[in-house]
Amino acid sequence: MASSRKITLRSSDGESFEVEEAVAVESQTIKHMIEDDCADNAIPLPNVTSKILAKVIEYCKKHVDASKAEDRVNDEDLKAWDAAFIKVDQVDQATLFDLILAANYLNIKSLLDLTCQTVADMIKGNLFPVRNEWLNFTFSIANRELVLVCLTEWVAHRRLFCS
Amino acid sequence: MATAFAFGIHRSTLASPPPPPPLSLSLCGAQIGEIYSRMDALPDAIIQYILSYVDNARDIAVCNCVSKRWKDSLPYIRRLYFPRNSFENNAGRDNPDDVVWRMISSIVRLDELVVYCPFSSAGLASWLSLVSSSLQRLELRMDNLAEQQPCLETPSKLDCIDAAKDLESLKLWGVLMTCVPKWDIFPKLKNLEIVGARLEGPALSSAIQACPNLTSLLLLGCEGVRSVSIDLPLLEHCKLDFYGLGNCSLSLTSPKIESLEVQGCSWIRVRETNCLRNLSISNNSGRVYMVDFGKLAALEFLSIRGIQWCWDAVSKMLKWASEVKHLYMKVEFTGDFEALQPFPEVDLVDFFNSHPKLQKFDVHGAMFAALCQKNSLKNIDTGFTIPCLEEVAITVRSPLNAEQKMGTLESLLKYGKNLKTMVIKILQMKSSHSSADDFFDEICRFAYMNRKIVRIE
Repeated sequence: MASSRKITLRSSDGESFEVEEAVAVESQTIKHMIEDDCADNAIPLPNVTSKILAKVIEYCKKHVDASKAEDRVNDEDLKAWDAAFIKVDQVDQATLFDLILAANYLNIKSLLDLTCQTVADMIKGNLFPVRNEWLNFTFSIANRELVLVCLTEWVAHRRLFCS
Repeated sequence: MATAFAFGIHRSTLASPPPPPPLSLSLCGAQIGEIYSRMDALPDAIIQYILSYVDNARDIAVCNCVSKRWKDSLPYIRRLYFPRNSFENNAGRDNPDDVVWRMISSIVRLDELVVYCPFSSAGLASWLSLVSSSLQRLELRMDNLAEQQPCLETPSKLDCIDAAKDLESLKLWGVLMTCVPKWDIFPKLKNLEIVGARLEGPALSSAIQACPNLTSLLLLGCEGVRSVSIDLPLLEHCKLDFYGLGNCSLSLTSPKIESLEVQGCSWIRVRETNCLRNLSISNNSGRVYMVDFGKLAALEFLSIRGIQWCWDAVSKMLKWASEVKHLYMKVEFTGDFEALQPFPEVDLVDFFNSHPKLQKFDVHGAMFAALCQKNSLKNIDTGFTIPCLEEVAITVRSPLNAEQKMGTLESLLKYGKNLKTMVIKILQMKSSHSSADDFFDEICRFAYMNRKIVRIE
């Protein structure tokens, strides 16, 4: 039976979260801190609020549970859980971007992949249609005027969308 | 007779690759604006990471114009994808090959290139010369199936692929491979997929020989192959679908093979099968008459399907697959020659005694009809059980031998102590005789009396 040592994590707003070591070390940052023996008391995480830390812990706990031998969760089920976890109507943009920063700071690759892929999907789904000429002169823009033409059009289009 | 592939793919759709998955998120203008602002607040490295998920060439072209930070992130993209309609309405301005070249040349290190739009072999050669040291995955719509004289362009598009020496995965759609491709060796190639192809035996063999370290081979909708011999020491997954008369011969020597699906062969020899866990053999247009597998000691799943199999082939497969846990049988007729014959009787007790680990059993029409008791149950000691059987799916098509069939159903229930579900599908009863109605009634009654386990679909 794996050690069920508990680690205490303290968010930027002073809230403490007690988690199993196996869950805490999903974060490479925390793992290194424990290895370097800085984890006797609570580990302070000044860059992560309690709201975001709670979500990160929820994610890590699910992924640790999913890989336990006795209760092996199907890969597809885990992907479905991830999709529900990050679903756009349930996670507002502020939270999504805060999760990106937290996953980056805490060095949790799978969470960073999930959140960045989500933002990428939002971008992909909402880029306005490209005029075919653009494909031709993008990547070879040295001409300043051309750049201005592109940007002006883009700004105008943004105004149309964002008003 | 319609020849739908065993894998459910119809030939007409094979010429083109599948469309990309639909973009699922559609946001309003304010939300889009918010995303752009929030992205601005992220560090460069994260912007790069997010944008590295954007792979569609048109999206990249737009991202290039959003802001300088975005533009500076784009060289770090790892995957580039040109959809089929990338250059529609191009009005002959720039050569598409050149546009693709320009995009590739601005990327620091490209891992994957997917091109579904038309291109020339000169273009392909120029792109691969840029990325040959980093490219791991290549997917191309070759689109030359319609060509009558295949070896026109020299070097051909196939020949050009040889430049990408470090490829790990190669997928080709709509290939004409009648000349031997001038391939040296792809030492790192693990995955080869060819979909919708016209091949000739020597060309295919030589292409496979150039990939000695393959672990996964997929040939779907391939026409023109009569006989193929595959000798790949590391191959684990193999899916072959040969289109045509269903009379191909296959010889496979791959001691590590774990999963094999074959459609369209009549003669199959796979000698080393110690690792084989999943085996699926089907033939929708020809007759399976020779199978040679050796002892299938590790086999967990076996599926045999087709219009006609020789009885020798069927009985051998069933004999070898003694450890199997899931068995799917849907062969319509037997017979060693042109004439379609019904199956000989298969004793139920013998059948289940020789497949003691069977958990899931799918049996259709004629093969179900062949199961019977041959009076052996009257003489059997009371120790006979079907211990592991949990799920049964039966398809019934005719009311002939109704009593025997009902007997089989009842025996399955009686001796299958762990049976959890039995699904009975009743298809187009062949006879409009009242016997059909009677039989249907009997089945309904049986299902009702055992409704915890049995259901009808």
